[in-house]
Order: sequence, then structure tokens, then C-alpha cells
Amino acid sequence: MRDWVGLLARVVTGGVWVVAGALKLPDPAASVRAVRAYDLLPEAIVPTVGHLLPVVEVVVGLLLLVGLLTRPAAVVSSLLFVAFIVGISAAWARGMSIDCGCFGGGGFDADAREKYPWEIARDVGLLAASAWLVVRPSARLSLDRRLFGGATPNPRST
Amino acid sequence: MGKKAAQESRTARAAEVLESQRREESRRRRTTITAVVAALVVVVGLGYLVSSTLDSSGEAAAAPGGMDGYAVTVGDEDAPTTLAFYEDPQCPICQQFESEIGDDVAAAVEAGEVKVDYHVVSFLDDASRNEWSSRAANALMVVQDLAGPDAFVAMHDLLYDNQPAEGTAGPSDAQLVAWAVEAGAPEAPARQGIESGRFDQFVVNATDQMSKDGVNGTPTVFVDGEKVDGTPADSVAAVREALGGGS
Repeated sequence: MRDWVGLLARVVTGGVWVVAGALKLPDPAASVRAVRAYDLLPEAIVPTVGHLLPVVEVVVGLLLLVGLLTRPAAVVSSLLFVAFIVGISAAWARGMSIDCGCFGGGGFDADAREKYPWEIARDVGLLAASAWLVVRPSARLSLDRRLFGGATPNPRST
Repeated sequence: MGKKAAQESRTARAAEVLESQRREESRRRRTTITAVVAALVVVVGLGYLVSSTLDSSGEAAAAPGGMDGYAVTVGDEDAPTTLAFYEDPQCPICQQFESEIGDDVAAAVEAGEVKVDYHVVSFLDDASRNEWSSRAANALMVVQDLAGPDAFVAMHDLLYDNQPAEGTAGPSDAQLVAWAVEAGAPEAPARQGIESGRFDQFVVNATDQMSKDGVNGTPTVFVDGEKVDGTPADSVAAVREALGGGS
């Protein structure tokens, strides 16, 4: 039963990552501007983050969908959601009106302030799903089971 | 006694076999994990490489003549008030903004009361079927390069008067050339500049600079170097106030 919850968590979270990343991949300059709009990171690393983020999102999403290295992927997924929740909250707290850029786009959005609470709620939900997978990496229908006979083992404990 | 010893040694051998099987299994797992992690590092690295190559922001670009950085300055150098507008040719709110304040701004520029720094940017190609945003932005830079700020303003007004709706195909390059000539640019070099996308890279860099200037959308207005925050209506109000209050 718990394994089925985990499978659902993998499909939903993984699916969201793949879509979010894939929408950003074709326009890396826009991704950089969306990161810069938050005005949180030093300019020296803004382009690197903007170029790397969509790639990492797609890869983490695919890993969760196929259940490969589920636990490490869920750890990265959780950390990213924490970062996004912090970023959106910071934009909100500073009275900024920016599109979160979550699914491409980004930049000014007149309605941004009404959207922040929903975006944060969504990310908290996905963070919860990711955290569940860190604790219980579901092996149902997973490559982890096929390759390792179970959830991703910790190499040091084997 | 002998029987018991033999049994013990059999048990020990069995344990040994199991232990070596277990070790073999764990070695195999570790190899698989290492291979998968290595493959992932390669995939992410390649993806990053493609992504950063696809983004040409900041690469060397030919600059149009008479620019102040990425801005076309229109009006008297010594005008007491300086406005700055960041605009994308495909942006409908920019068109609305221009239709509300364009005439008043032109009159104030004429009277020497204000000068305007136009920052032409382009990030709305996705809202056009034929990359109107970047083609029109390049054409504006071509006109500025060939014929200066007055022609630039004429071209700018023509483009907003004829702005294509979002999601449609914008006018052709031939139409852009015709408008460039109408605005005051010589035809042959205008055609060459428009068809070759002479200032495409300059516009890409201008758009990157926009974001570095803290501008996240268009239109954005600065009054004497001070950014106007808020809604498009706030921008209109700020410009009206800068032009001497009233409406």
C-alpha cells in the first residue's frame, strides 16, 4: 500500500519536473532572466544557475518517473522545492510582482501577488511528496528494483 | 566427534560461499550505481553545455551608431527631465502605453522639456508566428543606425500603430523595409540590415541588460533614473506627472 503511495508521489513529482524543465529548455536566456528577477543570487552565478536548472529539473524528473536512484533524486527534488519556496516567499515579502518562472516565462506579472500563495502551496505539496520518497523510496515499477532488487541501496551499508 | 566436526566444517563452507556471493552481489551493485551516476553527470554536463551555447547573451555585437549604451536618446540633451522606456515591439501593453502618452511625450520632447531614452528589447518572439518581436527590434536599430533618432521615433510610432496581435504572424521584412524608408532611412542599406538581422545580437544583449537593470517586463518607465514600480496605469500616471501633471 505504502509502495503505491510512493509510486503516485514519483509520477506526480517526476511529471511536474519534466514538464517544468522541458518548457524552459528552448529559451535559456529567458531562464537566466527569470532567475535574475528574484534578485537573490549574486550576478556571477546567475547565468550558470539559469542554464543548469532546466537540465537538472528534467533529469531529476526522469529519474523519479522511472524510479532510478529514487532516494538521491528525491533528496535533490526536496532541496529544489525548498529553494523555490524560499525564493517565492522572498519575492512576496519584498512586494515584488514577478512571474515565478516555474514553467518558463518569468518577469513582471501584474497578478503575481495573488498567485504567490497558490504557488507556495503547490511547492509545499510537492516537497511533501519528495520528502516521502526520501524516507520510503518506492520500488514499485522501478528500475531500482530491476537493477538492485529493491530501493536504491546505500553503498556503505551493503 | 568426527561427525560433528565434519558438520561444522560443512556449515562454515556454506557460510563462506554465502558470504562471497553476498560480496559479489554488493560489488555488482556498486559498479551499477557508479555507472549510472557517471552517465547522469555526463547527461547533465552535456545539457548544460547545450543550454549555455544556445544562450548568446553578451556575445560581441555590432552596435548601431549614435547609441548611448543600449538606449536611443530622443530630444534635447539639456532637457530638465529624462524619461527611459523599456519596450518590446510585440508587447500589447506597450502599444496601449504609447497610445496613451505618445503624443504628449512627443510634444514635450519638441518643447525641449524632456528627453527620452528608448531601450528596445525583445523577448516576445514566442507570441509571434514569425519572430516579429526580434525582427521589428532589429529594424528599429537599423533605422537608428542609418538615419538617427528622429527617424527612429517615426519608425517606433509606425510599428506600434501597426502592431500585430499576439499569436499571429507579423508583417514581412518587405513591409519593415517600406516603413523604414517612410521613417527616413535609405532603402538599400535598410533592406540589407533588416533582411540580414544586422543588429539581432545587439538586441539580445540589450534584453540581457534590461534584466540586469532590474527591469522584468515591458513597458517599464524610469523618471530621472528612478524606476516606476506598479501597474501599467502607474507608469502612465508617472509619465503624465513628469510631463507637468494633469492629463
